[in-house]
Amino acid sequence: MAEVMSTERNILFGLYDDEVKLLDAVKAANAAHLNIDEVYTPFPVHGLDPLLGLEESRLHIAGFIFGTIGCLFGFGFMTWVFTRDWPIIFGGKPYWSVPAFIPITFELTVLFAAVGMVLVFYIICGLGPGAEPRRLHDRITDDKFCIAFDATDLASGAVDDLKGYFSKTGAESVHSKMVPA
Amino acid sequence: MENFVFSSRAKTVTGGLALIGLVLLVASYFVDGGEGHHMRFWTNLLHNSVFFIGISFMACFAYAAFTTAYAGWFVQFKRVWEAFGMFLLPGLFLMGVIIVGLWTGAHHMYHWNDAEAVATDAILKHKSAFLNPVWYTGATIGFMGLWYFFISRIRQISIDEDKNGTTAYEHHARIKKYAAPFLIILGFTTAAVIWQWIMSLDAHWYSTMFAWYASASLFVAMTALTIMLLIYLKSRGYFPGINAEHFHDLGKYLFAISIFWTYVWFSQFMLIWYGNVGEETIYFRTRMDNYPVLFWGNLLLNFIAPFFILMRNDTKRKFGTLFFASAIVFFGHWFDFFNMIKPAARETLTHMTHDAGGHGDEEHATMDAAGHGDDHAAADDGHATASHDDGHAAEGHGDDHAAAGHGEGHESTRVFLPYKAGYTIPGLLEIGIFLGFLGGFLFFVLSMLTKAPLEPKKDPYFEESLHHHT
Repeated sequence: MAEVMSTERNILFGLYDDEVKLLDAVKAANAAHLNIDEVYTPFPVHGLDPLLGLEESRLHIAGFIFGTIGCLFGFGFMTWVFTRDWPIIFGGKPYWSVPAFIPITFELTVLFAAVGMVLVFYIICGLGPGAEPRRLHDRITDDKFCIAFDATDLASGAVDDLKGYFSKTGAESVHSKMVPA
Repeated sequence: MENFVFSSRAKTVTGGLALIGLVLLVASYFVDGGEGHHMRFWTNLLHNSVFFIGISFMACFAYAAFTTAYAGWFVQFKRVWEAFGMFLLPGLFLMGVIIVGLWTGAHHMYHWNDAEAVATDAILKHKSAFLNPVWYTGATIGFMGLWYFFISRIRQISIDEDKNGTTAYEHHARIKKYAAPFLIILGFTTAAVIWQWIMSLDAHWYSTMFAWYASASLFVAMTALTIMLLIYLKSRGYFPGINAEHFHDLGKYLFAISIFWTYVWFSQFMLIWYGNVGEETIYFRTRMDNYPVLFWGNLLLNFIAPFFILMRNDTKRKFGTLFFASAIVFFGHWFDFFNMIKPAARETLTHMTHDAGGHGDEEHATMDAAGHGDDHAAADDGHATASHDDGHAAEGHGDDHAAAGHGEGHESTRVFLPYKAGYTIPGLLEIGIFLGFLGGFLFFVLSMLTKAPLEPKKDPYFEESLHHHT
């Protein structure tokens, strides 16, 4: 790849109509040492991650950090409000009534963790308002399971091998598409 | 793999522990000079009996709930929960000992069983329709008998399925017919017996959250014991089909119900504290002032530890960390029951010794002011009227005095009790008796496991359980 970098990639992908077929096809690809580029499914498929050798998501670390921030923020804010800014006596309780803060602290922890994780997820995946959706095939978001290979630099013999693999593992249809790199 | 083989080594260990526990239990009868009708012995017996009966009960509950909910993942180890459930019969025997003690006056754990105290005490008199030996006996024997009937029928059908099960799965349908009503029965009866067995130790106190609180505690303990037993059985080569996926789900239960327990633990406090239910604060006041190790240690063991250990995904999938977390919360919830039972028993003990002894005691006077005035005041001519009135005011019965009582008496009403072996924190005797009961429970459960094939191969959900994936 010493020459000019290609700005587009040629993706060869097959669509399956069943998750069991998909799992079997991924196993077959692993056995044949085929280099799967990506797998797209309309919903999380159990047992797919270990087959693809994916690492555990690190999203929950972000969740923990945001949760901790929410916890400290909620508790700190209430402490500031009720001891410094605007102390009010509620039901004869002390100004700094910790037990009364617990439910709100808990809720802010959950809120920060949830919203923070969604934001991080959107940023990592390039999603969000105004983002151009990048999908290979519309029905992947509906009822089809997709295995995709990067065929940009493949010789025609290798592409035929992949097509043979798709028909052998029961793919419903095989497509090829140029996508931005 | 067919039936479980109870190795002689396992027999020696569990049986030996049970024997040591029995010796220590008998020893606890004689320590403290048999103070308060052998209070230490009786509370230890009650504590451990209720704890292990509760585990057995919760296994029935989980079994019935999962079966009714079409759950399949747990089916591989359902024999373990069936075996847990069968412990209700020895449990009934243990409660029988306490019932005999109740009728013969051999123990004095329950203040409401003291006819003299009830006669002069408006609160106890009011509660006596429910808190009386007849109800206690009837509820214990009746409800436990009912539970035992259901679980033994379910186990019987389940074992018969192994021999005569067909592809029509009519055994499973029959189990379901027992499981669904069993669920309703368990839901209502458990609250009634837990009020009788434990909450009524604080005879004047009540909390609407108590049954939830104790149930959550027992559910965590049951899950923890299941995890530890399954890890042991797997290490012996049983249950080849149980893998990290099943432990992951059990770990999630351990984690989730620990959080639920904390929620209830806090809510019980919150409802009383924020609702200004002054007369019920006594439960927390005594425990926070005199049993800080129990009260806060409880939160450390049962919330902080499992929360941080089990939060990560992988700690629920590794046997080492999961076993470690289970051991902590298993002990933790035993500790939780210790916290419910012992401080209450000690308070009863304090009243008993003061009734027998002198009246001018400072501790007694302050105890009265803390809200126990009406236990004694009427029968107690040695008391000053002022102290009597204070007691009422703090309890919130004398409406016009309530505000004043709260305001002026705040610091002076706090009672600090000295350390007392076997009450302030669990002593060596208590730990030993706990291990003894654990040994006895495991001996019973493992013997039950030898009686039927470990894996219910003809259960309709068995195959699903093998392929379980979280």
